[in-house]
Amino acid sequence: MGEEFIKVEHLKKYFKVPAGTNHAVDDVSFAIQKGETLGVVGESGCGKSTLGRTLIHLLEATDGNICFKGQDITHVKGKELKKIREKMQIVFQDPYSSLNPRLRIENTVMEPLKRSGRFHSKAELREEATRLMELVGIDERLRMSYPHELDGGRRQRVCIARALALNPEFIVCDEPVSALDVSIQAAVLNLLKELQQQMGMAYMFVTHDLSVVRHISDNICVMYLGQLVEKSSTKELFSNTLHPYTKALLSAIPSTDIHRPMQRIQLKGEITSPINPRPGCRFASRCPYVQEKCHQPQILEEVSPGHFVSCCRNKEIG
Amino acid sequence: MSDHKKEIFLSVKDLNVIYTQSHKVVHAVNGVSFSVPKGTTLGLVGETGAGKTTIAKSILRILPDPPAKILSGEIWMDGEELLKKPEEGMLDVRGQKIAMIFQDPMTALNPLMTVGDQILEVLLLHNNYGREEGMKRAGEMLETVGIPAERYGEYPHQFSGGMKQRVVIAMALACNPELLLADEPTTALDVTIQAQVLDLINQLKEKFRTSMILITHDLGVIAQTCDNVAVIYAGKIVEKGSKEDLFDHPSHPYTKGLFDSLPSLAGDDEMLHPIAGMPPDPTNLPQGCAFSPRCPYASEACREGDIPMQEISPGHFCACIRKGGLK
Repeated sequence: MGEEFIKVEHLKKYFKVPAGTNHAVDDVSFAIQKGETLGVVGESGCGKSTLGRTLIHLLEATDGNICFKGQDITHVKGKELKKIREKMQIVFQDPYSSLNPRLRIENTVMEPLKRSGRFHSKAELREEATRLMELVGIDERLRMSYPHELDGGRRQRVCIARALALNPEFIVCDEPVSALDVSIQAAVLNLLKELQQQMGMAYMFVTHDLSVVRHISDNICVMYLGQLVEKSSTKELFSNTLHPYTKALLSAIPSTDIHRPMQRIQLKGEITSPINPRPGCRFASRCPYVQEKCHQPQILEEVSPGHFVSCCRNKEIG
Repeated sequence: MSDHKKEIFLSVKDLNVIYTQSHKVVHAVNGVSFSVPKGTTLGLVGETGAGKTTIAKSILRILPDPPAKILSGEIWMDGEELLKKPEEGMLDVRGQKIAMIFQDPMTALNPLMTVGDQILEVLLLHNNYGREEGMKRAGEMLETVGIPAERYGEYPHQFSGGMKQRVVIAMALACNPELLLADEPTTALDVTIQAQVLDLINQLKEKFRTSMILITHDLGVIAQTCDNVAVIYAGKIVEKGSKEDLFDHPSHPYTKGLFDSLPSLAGDDEMLHPIAGMPPDPTNLPQGCAFSPRCPYASEACREGDIPMQEISPGHFCACIRKGGLK
């Protein structure tokens, strides 16, 4: 049986807060194959960033399993964790705050190389750093610049170079383009795609922007308040949207087609709190199709091969 | 911007604004002219640093001077030249006739004041309301934007981002302004909440016939809310016209580039088409067309002298030396 590259089962991440327990990630399961991109979409506070961070061990999981190439890494520590970290990297949303303002960009890229202990001389380090910067399209002449001298797009390229330094097999991209202007965003998205084709890494691409996620992902998970409400291949999700939340999300994107007026699904109310949530569908408070049975616990059901949805009314409202 | 003799409410003529920073001069706005007919919405699109917010702040005259300086230009509103008005006179304009919605609702509200009182403050300053009456009106304004009046006494931190932005909108609309400047009003919000706020702005515009300038970098937002559009690059308007002109026949290479770089929800293109290069350094703008270093169609002639605006079809202007732009 082919082993899944990354397999996540019933992953939970809870935070204790004064008002109770924040169920940031609540029973999430999915798999990512080698070289593919999984998009995770949802609105702010739905737990998508927490999910990404828990996956690569920046946060310790509360419950559940994370398997990386067949090895259970949920609770690895010390040396073993260090070894796994080399294989899993992250690119953060804000290139303004994720770079050390006092390090020249060359040093930023060299930092992980030094840590790996694989390079023995300054010249070797520098050579590798130059190769990485070339790979992400940073001019040689900018090597000695500080982050504040670069624009957002270039800074994000530096972050990508740093993430690539140790030849990772998996990269979590946490909203890597949402702080960038559209013309620059397009260039960074292209770069990520090219790098994937060259090196065969798997990505988990966390974003709130559906048009971006559609462009870059093979499969998509839609999250709402810590839970997966729908997951399927990208094509299937956009052609056969099932969950009322996914539908609302899709209809809310302002279209640039001025001749087709938007048919927006109006959502009433605000996102409810993930602190001590009640059982049942968490979207029920805003859902236009809500019924009594929605307040019962929901299961993520496979409605067609590879297409999962967590809505007890998906067949009626299809 | 339209050929009909519509009543022009606001017109900006040849506005030039600079910022001085340690002996460097940033040319933020360079000869911008546009007008807004009454009751319509003008969208200003452009990238970070293009000068969109500077234009809005010039209209309200709230640019910090120094470092900012309005070098020349005229801003006419309802037959009055705002740039010539004494400072005291502007106090009646700001908040009363022109109101502004800022980008970030988290920082636009006073965290130590209840939301109701923040709306009340505007009302007491500009109207002859008594406290009692003002509070009633502030409560009504909250209801208008879909927040129950009972939440008058709550503080900003008790509201979500979308609700805070609605409080900011309620505050801006409290005195029935004739012109609303909305600076990226939905950029900090989630899409479903953004949709609610855009609907609200559209409804209120219809109800009160407010004229509006909407600043955004999101072409989708423009498509859903504006009547006319002006595209700004390096402090200059490179193309302007009706929404239909711009979306159906984008003519300036920069406008075209913006549309092409969007990942589409329908398209299946493998790769996106970014605009090559970077926006120019505003302290050192290139000669001629500022977009020419990035423009795939540029020739020698683009780098010589000023590129004038041409009217390529009635009401549709484009600043490109190619005849009719790319049309």
